Amino acid sequence: MFFNSLHFAVFLPIVFILYWTFASKSKNYQNYILILASYYFYSCWDFRFLFLLIFSTLLCYFLALKIENSKTLSARKFWLWLCIAINLGFLGIFKYYNFFVTSFSELLQAVGVNSSPLLLKVILPVGISFYTFHGLSYIIDIYYKRIKSEKNFVDYSLFVSYFPLLVAGPIERATHLLPQLKVKREFNFEKAKEGVYQIIWGLVKKVVIADSCANYANAIFDNYNSMNSLSLILGAIYFAFQIYGDFSGYSDIALGTSKLFGIDLLKNFNYPYFSRDIAEFWRRWHISLTTWFRDYLYIPLGGSKGSKWFKVRNTFIIFLVSGFWHGASWTFVAWGFINALYFLPLLLLKRNRKNLDDFTLSFNFESIRIVFNILITFVITCFAWIFFRAKTIQDAFQYIKRLFENGTFSEQYFSIERYNHELLALVLLFIFVEWNNRTKIEPISGKYSWLKLSLCLAAILALGVFSDYKEFIYFQF
Amino acid sequence: MNKFLQFILKALAILLLTMVLLDLLYTTVYLQSNSRSKIDYLYNSKDKNYDVIFLGSSRVNNHFVPKLFNENGYKTFNFGITRSRLEESALMLKLMVERNYKIKTLILQVDLNINTNDHSEAIRSLFMPYLHQSKTIRNHYKSIPEYNKLLYIPFYRYMNYDARIGFREMYNSAIHKKTNALDKDGFNPLKNHNGKMIPADLSKYYPKKNIAYEEIKAICKANNINLIAITTPMCMSTINRDYFNHIKSVYPEIHNFENAVTDDKYFATCGHMNKDGAVEFTKVVFDAFFKTKLNP
Repeated sequence: MFFNSLHFAVFLPIVFILYWTFASKSKNYQNYILILASYYFYSCWDFRFLFLLIFSTLLCYFLALKIENSKTLSARKFWLWLCIAINLGFLGIFKYYNFFVTSFSELLQAVGVNSSPLLLKVILPVGISFYTFHGLSYIIDIYYKRIKSEKNFVDYSLFVSYFPLLVAGPIERATHLLPQLKVKREFNFEKAKEGVYQIIWGLVKKVVIADSCANYANAIFDNYNSMNSLSLILGAIYFAFQIYGDFSGYSDIALGTSKLFGIDLLKNFNYPYFSRDIAEFWRRWHISLTTWFRDYLYIPLGGSKGSKWFKVRNTFIIFLVSGFWHGASWTFVAWGFINALYFLPLLLLKRNRKNLDDFTLSFNFESIRIVFNILITFVITCFAWIFFRAKTIQDAFQYIKRLFENGTFSEQYFSIERYNHELLALVLLFIFVEWNNRTKIEPISGKYSWLKLSLCLAAILALGVFSDYKEFIYFQF
Repeated sequence: MNKFLQFILKALAILLLTMVLLDLLYTTVYLQSNSRSKIDYLYNSKDKNYDVIFLGSSRVNNHFVPKLFNENGYKTFNFGITRSRLEESALMLKLMVERNYKIKTLILQVDLNINTNDHSEAIRSLFMPYLHQSKTIRNHYKSIPEYNKLLYIPFYRYMNYDARIGFREMYNSAIHKKTNALDKDGFNPLKNHNGKMIPADLSKYYPKKNIAYEEIKAICKANNINLIAITTPMCMSTINRDYFNHIKSVYPEIHNFENAVTDDKYFATCGHMNKDGAVEFTKVVFDAFFKTKLNP
């Protein structure tokens, strides 16, 4: 069940009505409704994976209690590492086993040893990376005594499997979500209205921007050998907006949906393409994952403390792991590596926390510098996206080589019966809207909200892509 | 909560109103467009007289040169549409009857397309703007599963087929941006072939009784249209050329012309001839069926 499907359009109002009518009397009823809805939502993909989700929930729930009740540090450590090993073990088997086995076999072949690797024929359970990280953050927080373990199993289950965030995040923290699940939610009109606006804006991002860009980006990346330089540049730009529209659109729908139930989720995107350097980009892109890695990997590794070598090592670890988290492919690792290279000079020059403030533009030299920095950051981000989108590392290098060597910057007609530049107007309009609303969660609220709502609905209907249905990209992660 | 319900009802009302207005806008634009495709040309024309028309897929669109017929006094138009199947050809013919066309001879391509009773989504979509206006189109699609949604939900048809009749096509129709679909009396020549010819593989093709073809035969009989069903050329390296003989065993009245042009220099791809090939082929077909009438 996708957020942009008819199934969800029927499911959501039913859950909403049940939640605010029959279950509104107590927090327990509210949580029962949400957990049932969440399990139904998840089983719509494949009910067999529901058992995996429930197992992961049970595991973290009981081992958290074990950790808390352990008398000695070694016992606490034992239960912590057992939980981490089992959780990551599942993730490893489902997501990375075939990749490692194939890579190892290729390595053997390269040194002249033939092997026929035993591959698993398993489908990647949707959302496994997200709910595994949920569970891990909870267990690590218990270990470090940042929070107390949750005794109510239903409340804890809901924290892991709450349907708006179950399959593609944001990756919640127990410290943020659990307290909200422990109290009865009261209906708040303003919050619910904001939720509806956010859902609609998320749909605009997904079906209008991301899916339109996907048509062009696919046509270019899948046939890059016959594309000219202009098309290849546009291909990278279209993909940049495809992945942004797709993932931030999903996050908006998730956050908006959750607001309808009176629950706030963590903000996941903060207009990342208006970042002035790559460090700022990573503070604005997939915030819940970035902060997860910061808190549970980077800081435990020593963070930015210690020698220069330590800082460099930690930076590369976090970016490579982040890349690898996205998928079992060397292209994602390369993408992480490139971002680490971008980040390194800022870290070494101690400029990685330079652009923490908000900015406004006016007619002066400083504004020109800011715009220039934003453009440079966007360009290098697009360059890295080529590795993210390409099927193989070789394809990515060939793509870039052709981009620089072809030298033709003319109009090109694709097999999808579209010209390479046709979508630029829509992308520019989207940038204009985002720029003018970059201090807000979504652009619909405020003055003339009904007019803006009508325009968004018209945009979804008239400019949305419906015939060539595309799943949310981050579902595969 | 009441306030929120009112808010949702208002939003739904806006949504419905937007759908109605958009449907009205798109339909109005498509109803006045007649230069973007052979379907809008056909829908927006009436009372035409033709001695010969061609119907079929790209293997008609790229293969028949009406000019050669017109030069000999036969008023001819090529209504072949790339990607269309016999299902769409049947609807084209029905629409011609609805639009009061007078047709003496229909040359119908029946070769690869007889392998399936399926339809082409891409071409079906082009009929959708006229769903409310044309009884013929409504009757034709009455049995498809999404018929009620397409007919009764405002704007649904334009969303469902957005790739072909969405905003982009509506905009181009509104500004009367022409395509080459109607140039050369409907003939769209292909360029010469470059590089090695990749053979077509017909080993998974099995000719069978075709519902749409039967329908076309019935329409022709009812409207006194002389139907000539023919196969069209494919390159000689095609795998399983025996397929064309099997067609004859299913429908003996179909004329075999797959060997009318054989030299690779006349082909753009294995399944499609280039301009020179199309001229050669049209001459062969003309000579076979019409020359004797000119020189009895």
